[in-house]
Amino acid sequence: MNPVLAVDGLVVHFPARHGPPVRAVDGVSFTVAERETLGLVGESGCGKSTVSNAIVGLVQPTGGEVRVAGMPVRGADRRTLREIRAKAQIVFQDPATSLNPRMTVGAAIGEPLLVRGLARGRELRERVAALLTEVGLRPEHASRYPHQFSGGQRQRIVIARALALRPALLLCDEPVSALDVSVRAQILNLLVELQQSHAMACLFVSHDLAVVRHVCDRVAVMYLGHLMELAPRDALYTTPRHPYTRALLAAVPEPDPALQRAKPRVPLKGEIPSPAAPPQGCVFHTRCPMAIAHCREEVPAWRHLGETLVACHRAEETPAP
Amino acid sequence: MSVALQVSDLRLAIGGVNVVDGIAFSVAPGEVMALVGESGCGKSLTAQALLRLLPRQVRQTGGRILLEGEDITALPERRLRQIRGRRISMIFQEPQAALDPLSPVGAQVREASGLASVAAREAVRRMLAEVGIADPDRRIDQYPFELSGGMCQRVMIASALISRPAVLVADEPTTALDVTIQAQILDLLRRLAAERGTAIVLITHDMGVVADIAERVAVMYAGRIAEIGPTAAVFSRPRHPYTALLLAAIPRLADEPKSRLAVIEGSVPQPSEYGAGCRFVGRCPFADARCNAEPPPLLETDDGHFSACWHTERLA
Repeated sequence: MNPVLAVDGLVVHFPARHGPPVRAVDGVSFTVAERETLGLVGESGCGKSTVSNAIVGLVQPTGGEVRVAGMPVRGADRRTLREIRAKAQIVFQDPATSLNPRMTVGAAIGEPLLVRGLARGRELRERVAALLTEVGLRPEHASRYPHQFSGGQRQRIVIARALALRPALLLCDEPVSALDVSVRAQILNLLVELQQSHAMACLFVSHDLAVVRHVCDRVAVMYLGHLMELAPRDALYTTPRHPYTRALLAAVPEPDPALQRAKPRVPLKGEIPSPAAPPQGCVFHTRCPMAIAHCREEVPAWRHLGETLVACHRAEETPAP
Repeated sequence: MSVALQVSDLRLAIGGVNVVDGIAFSVAPGEVMALVGESGCGKSLTAQALLRLLPRQVRQTGGRILLEGEDITALPERRLRQIRGRRISMIFQEPQAALDPLSPVGAQVREASGLASVAAREAVRRMLAEVGIADPDRRIDQYPFELSGGMCQRVMIASALISRPAVLVADEPTTALDVTIQAQILDLLRRLAAERGTAIVLITHDMGVVADIAERVAVMYAGRIAEIGPTAAVFSRPRHPYTALLLAAIPRLADEPKSRLAVIEGSVPQPSEYGAGCRFVGRCPFADARCNAEPPPLLETDDGHFSACWHTERLA
């Protein structure tokens, strides 16, 4: 069976006015199956949002291939691209800037159905009412404007609009990062419910490892444009194979003072290098506590280790967290 | 026990509404005290009030701020300038925005030191090394744009601490940083508080950061302290329903994946919606008529652990 999303050797380079191009994404491959949620985690500048943008054709890939429901995004004609964009919907971080302030909520949610000629008039109003109810709002909210809602409610509106076309794939780019803790829990609960009720595939891009663990089935870890590790959720969190994954997990401050203070510290030295001048060999070697000469010279292969895919010469030796 | 900073009954108003309404806490030398809460809880305004850097539309309508025993609430601006950066300093969320882009970082740290130039360069170099900047001899002459966000925050910390202030106010110091860099900066703050005896007031929205570094925590909601006490006690035995729900709403690495997170219904009230009673009343599962009518006082429930709730015993 075809995966809903297949990303194969994706490369996205941004030309710079001076100097070498920024290698935002440098050869990333993964698939997302029907009903599956894949988490894509990493720190700022690792390229995770660029991957998500390339999937819906918001940025042009430099190389590699992206297929949504079997259809290649690159070189797609207008009709195919229209079809791809109906199948893959995206939810961004900031709901305030994702909604047109001069459009009622009902018009915003109904617009994808209207422009594709799928519903109009009374049927459209009923579909919008059903979508609002589904995301925990009320049908009468359709006549209001975005500014009349709180941040969490606005994110519900954005989600309702994304669901209007019954997409096969939902891309969520930091969907709860702009929200306060109490509201974030409401939206996470909603996303988990929708995964089950809609049987969608989902790519969940986030910097927050605890949030990703909460909603995802498999998790991919990205650093400087490369995947470091990809594994089923429990394997990744209990037996991380890449030293970067292990350091990331150690760096998450747990909201439990006893646990947090007993945690072994695995501080990473230094800073993330520039993606315009990534290190030779393994891109992580400049900060890796396990790096040896070999890591500076040779790019590690993307290989299987049990049910985990990992790019590290010393993955077998990575200690448990 | 000596006290570096003592705040009592602080009230700040915008229009006619007290957006900070009776905040009180103290911090000892070398202690890290966290003010935690969601947006709009008044934590950042409280921080600004400590340095008397309030926006024009905010008026202080009550309370005292004692810095090493001296009341700074009524001091004229001229005197305040001698205190800021010398006896109480502040660092911010966006270090790159807080630094002057046109001045080398070393010069900015030196300006904060008030030292003359020859002795100053060595003092600045030592301070940069102390906050963990590798190769300080080169960095000292660089401009903020040549440094990463984490390094700029180290420079901010260096300039805030070079005059050995009694108190450092850190307003979301790691929020704009990545987790691996956040861990480095938190370790640094913890070390500096211990080694230099600096009292740190940490403003944050992140319960994980509080758990990592704060000895005591005040949980704020809608301009008031809901609960205050030793971090370990507040996290393990929260005595206010807001704290309890907030802690249960955070996904943790030990939870069952995809399980339902606790939810606080609704959203934080706007200042115009504040009623006469408890400000959490609209979202609280325990709310009754008394909560609507009368604001609950902050009362001690255990040793040094205070909660402002009429129904504290229901959380025992």
